[in-house]
Amino acid sequence: MKIIEAINLKRDFTIGKGIFNKNKKTINAVKGINFHVESGEIFGLLGQNGAGKTTTIKMLITMLAPTSGTCEVLGHKTFGEEKQIRKNINFIFGGEYGLYRRLSARDNLRYFANLYKVPIKDRDNYINELLELVEMSDRADTPIETFSKGMTQRIQIARGLINKPKILFLDEPTIGLDPLGAEMLRVTIKKINSQGTTIFLTTHNMYEADELCNRIAIINKGEFLILDTPKNIKISTGIDEKDTLEEAYIKIIKGAKNEII
Amino acid sequence: MKSSSVLWTSFILQMKQSFARPMFKYVMLVSPFLSSVILGEIYRYAGRGDEYFLSYVVLGSGLWSLWGSIIFSSIGDINRERFTNTLSIIFSSPTDFRIIWLGKILGNTFLSVISFFISVLFSSILYGITISFNNFGFVLLSLLITIVSFIIISISTSYLLTLSRKTTLFMNCLEFPFMLLFGFAFPVSMLPTPIMYFSYIFPITWVIKLLRSSFSENLENFGYYLSFSILTIVLFIFISHLLYKIIYKQTKILGTLDMV
Repeated sequence: MKIIEAINLKRDFTIGKGIFNKNKKTINAVKGINFHVESGEIFGLLGQNGAGKTTTIKMLITMLAPTSGTCEVLGHKTFGEEKQIRKNINFIFGGEYGLYRRLSARDNLRYFANLYKVPIKDRDNYINELLELVEMSDRADTPIETFSKGMTQRIQIARGLINKPKILFLDEPTIGLDPLGAEMLRVTIKKINSQGTTIFLTTHNMYEADELCNRIAIINKGEFLILDTPKNIKISTGIDEKDTLEEAYIKIIKGAKNEII
Repeated sequence: MKSSSVLWTSFILQMKQSFARPMFKYVMLVSPFLSSVILGEIYRYAGRGDEYFLSYVVLGSGLWSLWGSIIFSSIGDINRERFTNTLSIIFSSPTDFRIIWLGKILGNTFLSVISFFISVLFSSILYGITISFNNFGFVLLSLLITIVSFIIISISTSYLLTLSRKTTLFMNCLEFPFMLLFGFAFPVSMLPTPIMYFSYIFPITWVIKLLRSSFSENLENFGYYLSFSILTIVLFIFISHLLYKIIYKQTKILGTLDMV
């Protein structure tokens, strides 16, 4: 069952806004991409910095309106029918931001639980479970501003799971995580996926994408270069399926700039 | 989860967040002393009597402090939340953004009212002004309406600022011009006529008149000012409702909810 569908999805940004600014420039961040994500799938979106990954995610999570094209999540349009989507999805952006840094981890999670309408009777137990899951129970009542980047990122993960989403969007979630933290995240992703959550993941970590994703799309300058399983992507670039995805990725980005599959 | 719960948790979260910030502590606790001295010295040098001191130094500095606290908290919070990427997260949550933001503004306003009372207390002691009133109920009512009018202006302004990333610039531009426009420090009748009429659109201009009237011996204009205060507050509730509808779409079209 299609849980996400994008048809000819485009997004432009105008740089140099203002009435008196004559040097306006339009950047085509996403140039008409087509894809769908099946329910229960882990879908990876790979690409260079500025390729259009985050813009695509922002359109899917109802944060950004598409310039044109159709974008549907859980059967609802992401621009105009946001209310039906938001309670069933969540998202995690990489990096240290996205939390109230002067508040404790527990206070942050309680607040977001309220915003996501988690019933109060279940809230505190579930928060404890999440803190255990991300191995932060011992620091639950410490302000976020005292945390390392990796610890903050773990709380972000707990925040992203606060409403038990049907779809979890992860935008470079392992940025700043140490190898053990990244491993913990991968285990968590597999676990929640096995419980039925669909995952939409962007990452620069090819090992992570190869290990986790059922299908991968590689985006470059707003256009898809390829969309297939990791195994088929390797085969299509002429490398052995036992080799790393990174080799296939570099080959595709360097050699197939104008090939739209 | 009821809206009242989100309103309450946003209110509490905002107070914890704001009070933890050194800048807010300065604006809330130190700035009232400065505004009291500045206005007090202006009126002392001009040789004005006690009536002016009560209206434009004691109440004026209190309102100036309240406005300053609100500018650098409620309105400035748009920028802080945008920078820390929480603005886009709360905006994209299933809860109506208006409820979340109202909770935050209520939290900030609650703290900002403290700076009003610090300023009023300090300036009245420093310049030896006795605060007297004929009807405590009128004073209480006018204070309540004053707070409501500041809340509604904060909501409208902060909604507008979600559309731009230049919030810090606007935030600094708002303090002094609007202090003069609303008539905190000087009567609005001193303003050029078109600007004076423009100032009457804002509820704060009327609630200041209402507040001053409640402290004076002559209460005959109280009902008149009360009517215009309520009328302009209703107007701004309507404006903020319209603004929200516009910004709800525009922020997603312009992509101004975060820094990237």
